Amino acid sequence: MRVRELGTRPAPVTMREILSQLVRGHGPAIFVRRREIPYWQERRWTRNGRTYTGSYQTPHAAFQGRIEEGWSGHLDFFLRHPSREIEQGGHWSCFVPRGDGWYLVHMARRPKDVSSGIMTIERLITEAYR
Amino acid sequence: MKKLSVVVAGTGQIRDVEIQPGTTAGDILHQLNLSDYLLSRGPNEPFFANAESVYDKVKDGEKIFASTKAEVGIAVCA
Repeated sequence: MRVRELGTRPAPVTMREILSQLVRGHGPAIFVRRREIPYWQERRWTRNGRTYTGSYQTPHAAFQGRIEEGWSGHLDFFLRHPSREIEQGGHWSCFVPRGDGWYLVHMARRPKDVSSGIMTIERLITEAYR
Repeated sequence: MKKLSVVVAGTGQIRDVEIQPGTTAGDILHQLNLSDYLLSRGPNEPFFANAESVYDKVKDGEKIFASTKAEVGIAVCA
């Protein structure tokens, strides 16, 4: 078997104490608990009812974003004021104007969750700048 | 052997795995029962192909992302 799942169990306190004592010259290690939160929260998007607001963030640029979740779970992704780089990219025809600078980003294959959709659009933005 | 932390985008859940040389993205997704997902090193990096070896492209202890398949486009521009 090539992949072995190790699980998410933290090391026992006593084991950590023993390990920290083995390292001379250092104080006891501080166990930092990792945050397990959805990507949209990690990116500081906020949710109000069925609407998410935040920004699509890349090393090149960030854009104001909005996501609307329909009653059936259908997700619509919006991006405001796309840049010239996005306009000149290969996916510009998938941006449908919705007024006030907002564009609906049409998805040929819809993501099943908000986080995956944000990642998809951030990847599109990055590609437009390359 | 390398250890990886796979972040499942929709939930934030982190799955720790250990992989051997030659392990593909498909192997990892299958093992984690994430058949409808794709792996990447982050939103600014391309997806790993299912048959692509991941071992050489990640560092020991690295965090990678599993997100559901999505594609921007319509029939004429996809």
